Amino acid sequence: MNQQLLAKTFVELADNLVTDFDLIDFLRLLTDRCVGLLDASAAGVLLADRDGALHVMAASDEQARLLELFQLQNDEGPCLECFHTGAPVLVPDLSAETLQWPRFAVAAQRSGFTAVQALPMRLRDEVVGALNLFHAEPGPIEPAGTLIAQALADVATISLLQQRSTRRSTVLNEQLQAALNSRVLIEQAKGKLAERQGIDMEQAFTALRGYARSHNLRLSDLARAFIDGSEPLPGLAA
Amino acid sequence: MVGVRSDSRSARIQLLVAEQAAQRGGRVGVVDVCTAAVAALPVGGAGLSAMSRTAGSHPLCSTDTVSEQLEELQLTLGEGPCVEAFTQGSAVLTPDLLFGQLQDRWSVFADAALEAGARAVFALPLQIGAISPGVLDLYANVPTVLGPEQLADALAFADLATLLLLDARIDETGPSDGGPSDGGPSGDGPSGDGPWPDRNLDDLGGYRAEIDQATGILTVQLGVGIDEAFVRLRAHAYMRGRRLADVAADVVAHRLRFSPEPEPTDENPQGCA
Repeated sequence: MNQQLLAKTFVELADNLVTDFDLIDFLRLLTDRCVGLLDASAAGVLLADRDGALHVMAASDEQARLLELFQLQNDEGPCLECFHTGAPVLVPDLSAETLQWPRFAVAAQRSGFTAVQALPMRLRDEVVGALNLFHAEPGPIEPAGTLIAQALADVATISLLQQRSTRRSTVLNEQLQAALNSRVLIEQAKGKLAERQGIDMEQAFTALRGYARSHNLRLSDLARAFIDGSEPLPGLAA
Repeated sequence: MVGVRSDSRSARIQLLVAEQAAQRGGRVGVVDVCTAAVAALPVGGAGLSAMSRTAGSHPLCSTDTVSEQLEELQLTLGEGPCVEAFTQGSAVLTPDLLFGQLQDRWSVFADAALEAGARAVFALPLQIGAISPGVLDLYANVPTVLGPEQLADALAFADLATLLLLDARIDETGPSDGGPSDGGPSGDGPSGDGPWPDRNLDDLGGYRAEIDQATGILTVQLGVGIDEAFVRLRAHAYMRGRRLADVAADVVAHRLRFSPEPEPTDENPQGCA
């Protein structure tokens, strides 16, 4: 474990949380840092909607997003189990789990992943989602790494609440709904930019995020302005 | 499928709304969402307004005179929970209008609303990302807090109203709007039979991202706004009898392109099973 990187990550995440941050941007940063810190190959955050159905909120790359989606579609996998039980699920060797999750184990291995960790995002008694780490190397999952991953999952939960508390609403249902809607907004903007510039969705996300940062805009505000065409966005909406 | 869990609430809400339409003897519309919401939730009335940042906003329906006044008040004054829900894109829940700071926030509206007979007001934006065609307002004549289940139901009513409001545009513009002009699976255009248009209203589950990305893509391919793009995407899926998620996946993978002309082209018809 790189202590310096760990300290730097928590400072960076905390810095983000005290400003008027963008939830989707923040969760993406968190998944990226999970990869850097915890020797994970990919990471993803799942969030439950008001009916307990899970949605992918952020993923460090497209492959992780597809794997998360795969679990949702097939209703099996460590992330779903973690969400339903509210307890961490550690899978050091996926090839040993083909009985428990026959479809997921095969799909994950086909994508090059051999080990998975799923950490619950808990708010008091309620599980609102899960943070998932995918590893390309099999082997024991370090207890210290799991503790840090759980701390990062807790930070993700806090970010969700923090985002909304400044806007009066303290009702969890509504917070989740609004968070999911901002995800929808970003995807719509990605589609528009990707089509306009002939780039892929990941490149479109990177471009939108870069633009938001360099112009000191919240990602979702930028996404909305870009879709509405309500403001000139030189370099983006040319 | 994870969608099954998620759909149980929306399926129940759809049924409640369909029952209202059946009683009224018409096809399901946003007015039925309002009456069903009043029947299901501890509120006295409901109203729905079409909202727009560029064009004008106007009330669409209301279940009683108090609701009617609340809609008109807010649109006239340009302030209140409905206006705020629209501009902020999040629900504005006001359990008691007499609460001090609220009167500061909407000084004119709060007094007028109390005068009209409202005490609690809940404004729920109709939205799918940047698509935000209106707001559903609920009011009660006593201080009221919606419980978690009630709020979830209220949000589900708003989601259904969003789709109905957008679908109304499919009906207005007809089958040439993004789909083939020679009829869909039933061969008789998009209207369908009975009170409930068969349009897979809960087909927005696990594959969300592709649907949203495809909507963004269509704004460019068709040169239209985001609302219109979503309407055309759904119209196409409906007319072809295909799942929205499958059509969206084809658009994202460049297997299907829409053009401003009525007929979108399948570049790889075999590939889109």
